[in-house]
Amino acid sequence: MKSILKRTLLSASILALAACNSAGTKPDVPPNEASSLVPFASTYQASQHAPFVIRNVNLLVGNGEQLEQVDVAVTNGVITAVGKNLATSGLSIDGSGKWMTPGLIDVHSHMGVYSQPETRNHADGNEMTNPVTAEVWAEHSVWPGDPAFEKARAGGVTTVQILPGSANLFGGRSVTLKNVHSVTVQGMKFPEAPYGLKMACGENPKRVYGGKGQLPSTRMGNVAGYRKAWIDAQEYREKWNEYEEKKASGKEAKAPKRDLKLETLVGVLDGEILIQNHCYRADEMAQMIDIGKEFGYKIQAFHHAVEAYKIAPLLAEEGVCAVMWADWWGFKQEAYDMVRENISLVDYAKGCAVIHSDDPIQIQRLNQEVAKALAAGQAMGINLDKADAIKWLTLNAAKAIGLEDKIGSVEVGKNADLVLWDKDPFSSFASPEQVWIDGAAVYQRGADNITADFNIGIITPEENRP
Amino acid sequence: MRYVAFLFTLLASSVAWSANILIKNVTIHDGINEAYVADVQLQNGEISAIGNDLDLSNSEVVDGTGKYVTPGYFNAYTYMGLVEVSAIGGTRDYESDNEIFTASHRAADAINPDTVVIPYNRALGLTRALVIPVNEKSIFAGQAAVVQMRADQVVLKQDVAQVVHLGQHGKKIAGGSRANALKMFELALQEASDYKANRAAIKRGEYRDLHFSIADLEALDQVVTGKQPVIISVDRAADIERVLDVVSKHKLRAILLGAQESWRVAERLAAMQVPVIMDPINNLPMGYDSLGARLDAPAILEQAGVPMMFFGMGFGAAPHNAAMVKQSAANAVTHGLSPVAALAAITSTPAKVFGLSHGLSKGKKADMVLWDSHPLEAMSLPERVFVNGEEFSLQHRASRLAKRYLEVIRASHSN
Repeated sequence: MKSILKRTLLSASILALAACNSAGTKPDVPPNEASSLVPFASTYQASQHAPFVIRNVNLLVGNGEQLEQVDVAVTNGVITAVGKNLATSGLSIDGSGKWMTPGLIDVHSHMGVYSQPETRNHADGNEMTNPVTAEVWAEHSVWPGDPAFEKARAGGVTTVQILPGSANLFGGRSVTLKNVHSVTVQGMKFPEAPYGLKMACGENPKRVYGGKGQLPSTRMGNVAGYRKAWIDAQEYREKWNEYEEKKASGKEAKAPKRDLKLETLVGVLDGEILIQNHCYRADEMAQMIDIGKEFGYKIQAFHHAVEAYKIAPLLAEEGVCAVMWADWWGFKQEAYDMVRENISLVDYAKGCAVIHSDDPIQIQRLNQEVAKALAAGQAMGINLDKADAIKWLTLNAAKAIGLEDKIGSVEVGKNADLVLWDKDPFSSFASPEQVWIDGAAVYQRGADNITADFNIGIITPEENRP
Repeated sequence: MRYVAFLFTLLASSVAWSANILIKNVTIHDGINEAYVADVQLQNGEISAIGNDLDLSNSEVVDGTGKYVTPGYFNAYTYMGLVEVSAIGGTRDYESDNEIFTASHRAADAINPDTVVIPYNRALGLTRALVIPVNEKSIFAGQAAVVQMRADQVVLKQDVAQVVHLGQHGKKIAGGSRANALKMFELALQEASDYKANRAAIKRGEYRDLHFSIADLEALDQVVTGKQPVIISVDRAADIERVLDVVSKHKLRAILLGAQESWRVAERLAAMQVPVIMDPINNLPMGYDSLGARLDAPAILEQAGVPMMFFGMGFGAAPHNAAMVKQSAANAVTHGLSPVAALAAITSTPAKVFGLSHGLSKGKKADMVLWDSHPLEAMSLPERVFVNGEEFSLQHRASRLAKRYLEVIRASHSN
C-alpha cells in the first residue's frame, strides 16, 4: 500500500522539478494534486568548500571506537577517508594534540520555538488549546534568528531536532535542522530527515487540561486520549485506502478531505514519522510501548527518560532509545528518582542511550554532560570508556532521529559534520576550535563568526552582542 | 579481629564520624593560593597541620598522589532546604506572598534538614549554600541564611544578609517602573531610621502612618546601620549604577545578585568593593535586562578586582543541582578566569563575606573534600567529604536506587 506520505513526497519532487524547469513561473499542477504536496521543502544547500584533511588527530569516531593520530579527509561535504598518513591533496589542518568528534546532535531542543529573549512573544512551542494537536508543525514556530543557535554551534552542535513542548498528548511534528545560519527555516531543514511526532506522558498534559476541567486530568485520561486518537487515525487511513483501491480499479472515487492531524498520525502508523515520546516514569514507558503494539507502531525514543534505568532491559529488547539528561532532577515528582548512572545503566543493558539538553544553556556544553554521566557510570563499576560515551551524543542520537546512515560517526561516506576540540572533550576546559557542517566551516574560535540579526548593534551601535 | 569488624560496621552505619586522617602528597586548592602539593592532617575532625612529611601515628593514612583537596564548595544562591519537589507547592517555602513579614522573614526557620537534596549535593562536593528567599509581593524577601550539608546542624549561620529583589521583580512590585522600586527601597531605609528615632511614639500610635510593618523596620535597622549586608538582585548595567548610587548615599554594605551586566560596571564595583553573586554560565540574552550576558564576565570582573561568588549552570536557586556550581566555575576558567579566582568564588570568598571559617586552614574544623581528580573537572568526584569537622558517607537516595537497578540489569544479562 502506498502511504499518504510517500504519495505526497512523490508529488513534491515532481513539483520541485517543475519549479526548477520554469524558474519564476508557477508549475502547472491541478489543484487537487497541489493540495496533497508536502510543503515547506528544505532549501538547505551545503556551502562549497575546498577539499581538506585534518591530520594526526585523536578521533572519537562516534561508533564506539577511538583512533589515535589519524587523518580525516573531506571532499564535497563528505568524509572520503579516515586513516594514518593519508596521501590526499588539499588543505591540511594540523590536529596534533587535538581531538575530533562527529558533529554533536541534540535530539531535544526548543531553540527557535522558545527563542531568546524568553519573552511571551517568543513562547511558540506549546499549542495548549487541545490535548491532541498532531496537526501543528514545530517548523512553523521556529524563528531562525534565535541567538541561541550560534551558541550551540560554538559548542559543536551541528544537528538539532526541534520539538514542540509537552503540554499536549500529541504536541505536533518535530523538525530536524542543520545548525546553520539562515533567514528561513527551510534553509536549515535537514534534507530527507524523517519527521518526528511529539507525544507526552505524565504530569504535563494532565496538569494543563485537568486545570481547564477537561480530559485528560489523570494518567488514565492521558492513555484514553492517545488511544482515541489512534482509533481515529486508523479510520482515516481506512478511508484513504478505500479511495485508493477504487481509483486503482478504475471506479469513480472522491478523495476524502485531508485532515492534517490524522495525516500526521497515519504517517506514524505507516512507519514514516517517528514517535518522540516525552516520558519520565518507567511504568508509563511500559504502558506506551503497549499502546504502540495495540496500534502497530514503534516508539523511536523516550525523552527525559529519568527512570529508564528501571526498565533498561525492556527498552533494549524493544529497541527504543532512551534520551536522558546527565543529572536533572527534582523539579517535579516524575523527575524525583533521577540517578546519575541512568545513561550508563541503559548502555550497560545494551540499550540505545542518548543524551539531550532540552535547554539553550546545556546545549552549549553537551560534551561535559556526557563526561559527568560517564564518570557516574564508571564510579559504580560499569565498564565504559570515552569512545563508548561519545556515542550518546553522536551515533545513538542519530539513530533516535532516523539519521544514522548520514551523520553521527566519522566514517567514510558520511556527511562531514565534524568538531575539532583543543583538548579532550571530556574535560571542562575543552572547547571546539572548529566546527564543520557538510564540510563547510561554520564556526572558528576567535574568528568573526556570523551572528544573529538580533545581536547587531543591540548594546552599543558599533558592536555586536558578544 | 571480630572487634575490628564490629567497629567497622558501626562506623559504616553511622551518619558522620570524626577521625584522625593523614592525606599524603595531595594537591591542595585552598581557594586562596595557587595549587601546591603537601600533606593534610586531621585530628578529631580538625585540620591539625598542612605541610610536608607529616607523620601521625594512630591515624588512617591516605595516599593523595594524583588527588586533590579543596574546601567544601559553596553555592551562593539556592533554596536549599526550602523545597523538595519544585512543582509541589506543599514542599516549597522559598516564595512568600506575605506582606507583613517581608524584611523580617527568616529563611532559616523554614529549612528542612532532612531533604534528600542535602546528601545528594554533599556527595558531589558541596558543603555549604546560601539560602536566599523571595517575596512575591515585596522587594524585601527577608533574612538569608548559610546552611551546611548535614541534617544535624543544617543552619550554619542565620540572618547573614537582607535580600532585596529589584530588576524585573522590583519593577513589577513597584507598579511597573523600576524607578519606583528604587524609591520603595529608599523609603524603607528612611522609615527604618524614622522608626528607630521615634520608636515609642510609633508604638503608642502617635506617629504618621508607615508603609512598612514594625517587624520589617526592625529588621531593616541592621541594614541601615551597616551591621548586615544587603543582597540586591539586579542585572542591567544602568540599574546597577543606580543601585550603587543608593548604596553610596546610604553607606550600605551591598552584594549584587544575578548581576549579568556587572562586567560593564566592573571598575566602579571594584572601587566600592561590592561583591557579586553570579552564574558564569549565562551568556544568552534571556531578557532585555541581561542582553550583555557573556561567558568571560568573570574574567573581566577578576581583572578589575571585583570579589565574586557563584551559583550554577542556569538553574537559578533551584537547589537540586546546587553542586553544579563547580561546573559553572570550571567554565569560567575555560573563558579566562584564573583557577584560583574560580576556586575562591566557590570557597574562600563566600566564607570571608559571610564571616565563616575557611574549611581548609589549620586549627579549623575540616570542611573539605578529597577529589579523585582535578576538582573543577566534569569527571572528578569526591572520595571523602568532611562537613564542619565530621566525615559523611557518600550515600544518598539516588545512589541507592542506582545500585538496586544495577542488580536488576546484571540479572537480566545472566538470563
